[in-house]
Amino acid sequence: MEPSLNSLTAEFERVKGSLKSYILRIMANKQDAEDIVQETWIRAHRSLANFKGDSSIKTWLFAIAQNIARDHLRSLKRWPENVGDIAKDAAMKDPDFFREAMTIHKTSPEAQFEIREHIALCFTCVSRSLPLEQQLALMLKEVYEFTAKEIAKIMETNEAMVKYYLHTGRSKMIDVFDKRCALINKEGACHQCTELNGIFNPKQNAQEEAVKIQMVRDAAKKDKEHLFDLRMMVMQEIDPFASPATELQLHHLEFDRKVMNEHTGQD
Amino acid sequence: MLTIMSTLHTTAQTINAATTRTTFHRETTVSTVIKADEAIIWALLTNASDYPRWNSTITSIQGNIVLGEKIVLKSTLDAKRSFKLKVKEFEPAKKLVWGDGKGQRTYTLGKNGDGTVTFSMSERIGGLMFPMYAKYIPSFDDSFNAFATDLKKEAELIQSKAN
Repeated sequence: MEPSLNSLTAEFERVKGSLKSYILRIMANKQDAEDIVQETWIRAHRSLANFKGDSSIKTWLFAIAQNIARDHLRSLKRWPENVGDIAKDAAMKDPDFFREAMTIHKTSPEAQFEIREHIALCFTCVSRSLPLEQQLALMLKEVYEFTAKEIAKIMETNEAMVKYYLHTGRSKMIDVFDKRCALINKEGACHQCTELNGIFNPKQNAQEEAVKIQMVRDAAKKDKEHLFDLRMMVMQEIDPFASPATELQLHHLEFDRKVMNEHTGQD
Repeated sequence: MLTIMSTLHTTAQTINAATTRTTFHRETTVSTVIKADEAIIWALLTNASDYPRWNSTITSIQGNIVLGEKIVLKSTLDAKRSFKLKVKEFEPAKKLVWGDGKGQRTYTLGKNGDGTVTFSMSERIGGLMFPMYAKYIPSFDDSFNAFATDLKKEAELIQSKAN
């Protein structure tokens, strides 16, 4: 049954934030996220009569946005798992990076540095090392809590393939973070979130801050699946466009994207 | 205990590679019924980089498993060798063939109509020079059994995931 314009408008306003954050996380581009959400509203409004009611309006809106982003997403090169290391090296060689970041940090009310915000940014970047379909399915399921059936609709595939994407994507991400993330593995190579905490919050004890996060407290249990679920909870709790760290994290993400474009030879 | 023995017996019956030999050829085959969508099995068979995660017989596959592409495969059968193979047939969710001048590996999937899929794998090696080097090639039987067991386990695990 065709929804009324009022119900579409109300639902769009309700899901707009999560749609925008989803697009940002899969494209790593703030401008693209804003443009695609706007275009989604225009197309949904135009094609309201075509909505058959075989999914929720939310699923339909995500499917429209996914459709708009599809070609561009396919043209984007995948990033390596060690994107954080490469971006860090680039930042250390670029005097403008920390100067800009410090200016934002000191002047904006939305530019605090919080370790949990960096955990979310880190997952956004590292998940781009997965094949595209795995990244999309994982985000939709683990962060935005769609069912496999709904994801199949959004991605225009079948539930069996969604299950495959979810299983393989999740397995790979668990393995990558288990090996790399020093928050959950003392041997892990990446300490970037606590290092940055020391730069932006020099009077704060990074370890004391880290243990406020349940994933870090539970790390000793070494239950990899559970730790991944807790990492996804951090993702769910953070709106990258509306958090105390928004401006700083968007600055980092934009920097990472530029560095990766150079690294992968992306135009 | 009886349950365990029964399970082992069933597994042994279901997945049991067999090898036939002639003067110039050797062929090993294995097959098993998998309770999973053929799309999942096909995805597992054609995602090169993912093999080492679920398949205990393959340590790496470089390249893309698509028609006409070349792949480089390393297996536990001979850890020091890299096999340079070409994907010769690629019928989605039905048949996959790769090989080189000495041998050919064929995978087939057949829907059984009851939600299960029969997976079969065979490898035929040989040629005129085969008698000269046949004794240096190890048996594939255990590796084939492990491959089919791993594939069945992984595909059924994915299929069983909640929606």
